[in-house]
Amino acid sequence: MRVYLEALRMSYRRFRTYGAATLAGLATNCFFGLLRSAVFIAFYTQRPIAEGYSLHDALTYVWLTQGMIMPLYLWGSLEIAESIRTGAIASDLAKPFNYFGFWLSRDLGRAAYHLLYRWLPTLIIGFVFFRIRLPGSPLAWSSFALSFLLAIILTFCLRFMINVVGFWTTDVRGIMGMVLLFVNFLTGFLVPLEFFPPTLRAIVTELPFAAIISIPNKIFLEQAHGLDLLILLSRQLFWVVVFITAAQLLLRAATRKLEVQGG
Amino acid sequence: MGNLRLYLLLAGARLRGQVQYRVSFALQVASSFTSTFVELLALLILFRTFNDLGGWSVGEVAFLYGLASVAFAIAELLGEGLEQASRMIREGEFDRVLTRPVAPLLQVLAADIQLRRIGRLTQGLLAFGLAQRWATIDWTPLKGLLLLAAIGSTTVVFLTVFLIGASICFWTVESSEFQNIFTYGGTELASNPLQIYPRLLQGIFLFIVPLGLTTFYPALHILAKPDPLGLPPFVPFLAPLVAALFLGVGLIIWEFGMRHYQSTGS
Repeated sequence: MRVYLEALRMSYRRFRTYGAATLAGLATNCFFGLLRSAVFIAFYTQRPIAEGYSLHDALTYVWLTQGMIMPLYLWGSLEIAESIRTGAIASDLAKPFNYFGFWLSRDLGRAAYHLLYRWLPTLIIGFVFFRIRLPGSPLAWSSFALSFLLAIILTFCLRFMINVVGFWTTDVRGIMGMVLLFVNFLTGFLVPLEFFPPTLRAIVTELPFAAIISIPNKIFLEQAHGLDLLILLSRQLFWVVVFITAAQLLLRAATRKLEVQGG
Repeated sequence: MGNLRLYLLLAGARLRGQVQYRVSFALQVASSFTSTFVELLALLILFRTFNDLGGWSVGEVAFLYGLASVAFAIAELLGEGLEQASRMIREGEFDRVLTRPVAPLLQVLAADIQLRRIGRLTQGLLAFGLAQRWATIDWTPLKGLLLLAAIGSTTVVFLTVFLIGASICFWTVESSEFQNIFTYGGTELASNPLQIYPRLLQGIFLFIVPLGLTTFYPALHILAKPDPLGLPPFVPFLAPLVAALFLGVGLIIWEFGMRHYQSTGS
């Protein structure tokens, strides 16, 4: 267990060295938050409520999702694929720890950093300038925290699996681009799923992608209570179990296939 | 050999190289298309619920969106080399550039051209198609010319932002993500009617990075919309002039930066 905690801590500290980049990234996230807010403010001059969202809710959605980009690492990293390309993977696999667990710990360390230095400031700026609504009870905050953690594990699994495809083809960039950018839409990142046309919405809410952005946002906005809340969380938990299992199977198949690139 | 001919020769070689790996290339184009297409889709979905955006219909916004998208796609396609400038400076490749008897800017531009950006271009043209279908546009030869001028001018503005970003690398070596505010952020901003944004933002994107003058104002004239900001009626036709001025400023910063260049020694 200690090795995983250590990996988590190291990864957190590694990201802390990128101070200037963090500031520029934060400015970009907030700038987009501002643009997206302006669009909703203009739209909402026509009606007070749309698809169950007040302007207040929509703005909260905007700032919360802008803040979640980095903790979820939506646009991902190709570090594992890179280690396959360089051959470093061979020694990583030989080390006496669980390969998946090792990378998960590293990713949680990264997420902890981004939570503190990207999510929190974005949320504060949204609160100060756009009066976004915050959850009103400790229960809402803690269910959101759990939901967010599950979402982070989910996106990690997704990125892990895309990276592992690199065992078969050393050019995963195209696949990565396709999947992750499609994700922008299916998670509800660009538009809340509630705004989708009914048929499309019925399909999309059943997909695992909804568990990444849509569900944590619904919980943050306190749109679900009691049993509904429990259902949302178990839906996320279900997908986390499925994805972790799938990632393990894929990894096992891949290691059997592995041909190390020399160099 | 003329500079332009040299550029075309180098660029042609890059392009031929990229299409060699057919599957990889097709995937990259597809990825560039979907990534931008979902943004258009998101906009259309919002227009299911809401009727207009600041007095603009879905077709009119699609027109603006297409204009910004097409211009940004061309700028990305041509300007990839500028995005690589940071790497060239860091790895000492820029030393080699300076020893060759060809303008450094031309070499940097020819260093990389990304044909996969035609994915975004296609998506922008699709938005134009929707605009043509849904918005009533009374086309005249003058309007056609204005549209071409607007696309060209906007492309130049985006390329200049890349150029200034690359110039800053002469001081900082690393490129900064701040540039994204004016490139990706600029496209996003220019895709919607300017009046929906706060005054300060309108000012910045009209008079500092003049995207508003090269997209929004020509679009106002072509779509025959009233000007919500009350600028003089000739403003839509200033786009090429404004873009040229901005490019001039960018070139001065580039020259100034190059004089400041010190090799990293690596």
